[in-house]
Amino acid sequence: MNQTPNSETIREQGAQRPMLNVEVSAHGTTSNIKHRASNIFWRILGLIIAGIFIYAGAIKALDPVHFASDIDNYKILPWPICVALAFYLPWLEIFCGFALVVRSLYRGALSILTALILVFTLATVAAKVRGLDITCGCFGHASQNWSFPAHLATNLAILAALLALSFQSAARRQIAN
Amino acid sequence: MKTPIVAFALSIIISLSARAELKWEQTTVELHPTAADKQAVGHFKYQNPGKTPVHFKSVHASCGCTTAQTQKDEVPPGGTGEITATFNIGDRTGTQVKTVTVETDEATNQKTVLTLRTIIPEQLEINPRLVFWKQGDKPDPKAITVKVGKDFTVKHIKVTSSSPDFQTKVEEKGNGEFKIDVQPQETKNVIASTLTIQPEDSQKVFYATARITNSPVVQ
Amino acid sequence: MRSSLVRQVLILLALALAPGVGEAVYFRHRISWQSAVLPSELVTVDQARTWGGNVIWVDARPDEEFASDHVPGALSLNEDRWNELLPQFLAVWSPGTKVVVYCSSLSCNTSREVARRLRREAQLPDVFVLEGGWEAWLKKNR
Repeated sequence: MNQTPNSETIREQGAQRPMLNVEVSAHGTTSNIKHRASNIFWRILGLIIAGIFIYAGAIKALDPVHFASDIDNYKILPWPICVALAFYLPWLEIFCGFALVVRSLYRGALSILTALILVFTLATVAAKVRGLDITCGCFGHASQNWSFPAHLATNLAILAALLALSFQSAARRQIAN
Repeated sequence: MKTPIVAFALSIIISLSARAELKWEQTTVELHPTAADKQAVGHFKYQNPGKTPVHFKSVHASCGCTTAQTQKDEVPPGGTGEITATFNIGDRTGTQVKTVTVETDEATNQKTVLTLRTIIPEQLEINPRLVFWKQGDKPDPKAITVKVGKDFTVKHIKVTSSSPDFQTKVEEKGNGEFKIDVQPQETKNVIASTLTIQPEDSQKVFYATARITNSPVVQ
Repeated sequence: MRSSLVRQVLILLALALAPGVGEAVYFRHRISWQSAVLPSELVTVDQARTWGGNVIWVDARPDEEFASDHVPGALSLNEDRWNELLPQFLAVWSPGTKVVVYCSSLSCNTSREVARRLRREAQLPDVFVLEGGWEAWLKKNR
């Protein structure tokens, strides 16, 4: 499943690239174990994030009418766009989530999800600054009663995880190259 | 500079030479009923300067609160009459504009719109009419502002609550303004109360509502 | 699997379109693309229906018309008896519910005036006017 980069190859290349999960060590066995552990860690992180987005997307896909109102509450986009996004975005989240799970179109999914969470976090902060009292709508009405700090913290955590996964994926590709 | 004068002159000539057309004394009437009046009546007088009789096809008002009638359906040449528009004030406030559309068989002017403007004096302006606390909110006092209309003098107002669960306190701010502070004893139970506001020396009573509501439905 | 990033993004964006459009078709009667309810005070019968039980219907027509027939569960609130009817309405309203005011048809103005007074005097949010009035409601419900 995972391509286990060969530590010998790295030493041969003499590269000093920043690696998140590959410990350049002289001894094959130890590095392999650490390798596998960190691979498992990233794999699990990826699955968690995927699960979050699939769940969030599914909840919103079940009630797009409400989601359209939630988007409209941010008062950033005109109504017809809110409706269009309300129908479209949940499916984008679901498909990207699945892409993370099956590791197909992986980078594309990471990019899209990162962009989504970024835009979304900025919109939430903007709304708060403008004094708009809105329920997030990200997890449908499951998150209705969360406070603003809780929302912000969750979003930032997801963003951090996505960025980490992106860096890890980029690093692995560099190694594989 | 010349064009308006020409247009003006032309319109006079045209209107003078019109045949069957009613002339209205005024098409807008402004009424100032007193606080005690239940209705305001506007009289729209007309005359038929033409040589042929004019018939009324329909007379109808813009709302159900206003009724209008003609004294007669046909106006002979040289005849006069009036359309009476009766506006039921009810509990309306402020400046109310209602129209009556008159349709005739006149050659050049089939539809005339008569406008009835009624300036209704408001003795007390109460805002807001509803103060409420959600269950579990802090039972802080909320204020209702009462302003006396400019045609009235009200020195004191009396406020009573239909439920003892709400306390009311009246503060006279002067200049025709009062502040009513409403405070519930606690916000545990869902309760409602009608606050009766009565100006001193007046028969008329006004109402406001105080409530403890349940928390909004989580949708 | 060396697809470029751009290509992957485009594929995902395209994939999500199909179910998105499918949902838009499925829900087409339950949402209006033209107007969000918020900027304008008007709602159509269909829009009001999507709010389900969270609506209080207010009949702004004169008493006789209300008595003869009205939206089931509607409260009468007209300007003829405003002082008497308003407290009755305020006793029933609760935060979070939407208010839809109707008069007889598209052309009457009473529903707008009643809605305006509700917003101004009772400071209620979410007060709307039914587009087409009682006539429109009848067409969709009877």
